[in-house]
Amino acid sequence: MTPYFYKAPVLTLDNVSMQFAGETILRDISAQVLDVCRPGMSQGQVVGFYGRSGMGKSVLCRIMAGLMAPSSGTVLVGQEQHEVAPGAVGFVQQQYPLFNHRTLHDNLLVAAARNYPDVAEARRQAAFYLERFQLTAHRQKYPAHLSGGQRQRAAIAQQLLCSDHLILLDEPFSGLDVAMIDEVKQIILEVTTMDELNTVVIVSHDIQTTTALADRLWLLGHERDASGQLLPGATISPQHQYNLAEMGLAWHENVEAEPEFNRFVEHLKDEIRQSA
Amino acid sequence: MKSLFLLNGRVPRTTFALMAAAQGAGLLLLWLFYPLRLFPSLSDVLRALADLVSTQGLVQELWASMTTALQALGTATVLALLISYLTALPFFRPLAYAASKMRYLTLTGLTFFMALMVSSGHEVKLSVLIFATTVYLVTGMTSVILTTTQQEMDHARTLGLGEWRSFWEVVVLGKLDDMLEVVRQNFAIIWTMITLVETLYQSEGGIGLLLYKQNRYLHLDGVVAIQLVILAAGAAQDYLFGLLRRVFFPYSGLASAQ
Repeated sequence: MTPYFYKAPVLTLDNVSMQFAGETILRDISAQVLDVCRPGMSQGQVVGFYGRSGMGKSVLCRIMAGLMAPSSGTVLVGQEQHEVAPGAVGFVQQQYPLFNHRTLHDNLLVAAARNYPDVAEARRQAAFYLERFQLTAHRQKYPAHLSGGQRQRAAIAQQLLCSDHLILLDEPFSGLDVAMIDEVKQIILEVTTMDELNTVVIVSHDIQTTTALADRLWLLGHERDASGQLLPGATISPQHQYNLAEMGLAWHENVEAEPEFNRFVEHLKDEIRQSA
Repeated sequence: MKSLFLLNGRVPRTTFALMAAAQGAGLLLLWLFYPLRLFPSLSDVLRALADLVSTQGLVQELWASMTTALQALGTATVLALLISYLTALPFFRPLAYAASKMRYLTLTGLTFFMALMVSSGHEVKLSVLIFATTVYLVTGMTSVILTTTQQEMDHARTLGLGEWRSFWEVVVLGKLDDMLEVVRQNFAIIWTMITLVETLYQSEGGIGLLLYKQNRYLHLDGVVAIQLVILAAGAAQDYLFGLLRRVFFPYSGLASAQ
């Protein structure tokens, strides 16, 4: 097993609940992402939140990104564990929005201006990410001229330029073909090896791909009371929190081909079916 | 040819241009040879046009109306943008709502009130046009602002832009091309109003007054000639606005359906 140890938390969800018009969407969600260290390498974190469609994943994303205050509970981010505010967490939404009135290069410059007030440095950083994500040839294009994959890479680069290590991806594999999924996986791995503190939070209903990338996984589901009745609001039960590093399933290059991984995915699917 | 009648059919540019030219020619032939003389003939209209230009100063009157229209449009655009953008602040939303509803006010009644408030005929004319255009523009512009999605605003916020900067980036800069389109569409309304206002305040002339006189003396050929001139001016304006949009907002329309 790869040696590793944990340091300080980088993201904490503490009893987060959300209600809309009296209806409970999320209930008492607690999870903590710790800075994982692997001696001799720069290893960031990839964690996954799995939830079925309509489970409140997008609401959870908006709460974690500081775009929406939870009805109760708190979200703490960074090494200082301060309360989340808009802009503290990079958030790549499902449709990979960019500013349609700006070229790709200008889109990155707007984002870079936050962390790099010096214009020359902002340009240098934007150029670095364009190169890193193979977008240099498209720098003068408007978003409408970019393909889905290019838009996604651009949206991730934009968030990386202005966020403080934490980046949240809402359904990053939704509607992508196999080759595109491989490309996104590669980007996520690149992001997490760029900086020790870089943390990618994947919120998805693609259990196989999310599990293959993550070192921690939480399943969102509905609990039942003693009489078997479904409790309102999705939550994370204690038995639905998985440390994949501990299980020896994290950071493997071709983990999806391993029988143990597939057995674990099957187990997860059974759990999901039972909580439906 | 078949694709011309297919639902959402895609037609090559040359085919489309030929089709449009053929439709125009068909209309012209209909005008030239239609047995019922509902319309004055083309030659009568052309003669009336020459007469209007040489003896009644059609070009000068058109220019006078055009400058008044542009003056009104410029001021109304600034006012409408201001009122529309202020809807970001809840305090000003009733103002935009009320401004939008004022487009139901009649022009004649409005002219009377404006005459009480300002001194010269020109000012009455201009203020009526500004008021009427502003209320139409506010309606269009606020509806453009309302197309802003949660996702767009969230995107700006996650970049740490702050509320005002997010508003500036998403609503002001991001929708400037749509605002220009609203202005283009509503410019036509000014032409409808200016002809009416010029007949109410005749001291400064204008193409509206010229049209009124042709109507009054039942010079149908002159009426058609002036209408065609207004139509041509409007088409030129539309083209100019389209050009401005392509030059200043090259991203505009890239994502729209073909």
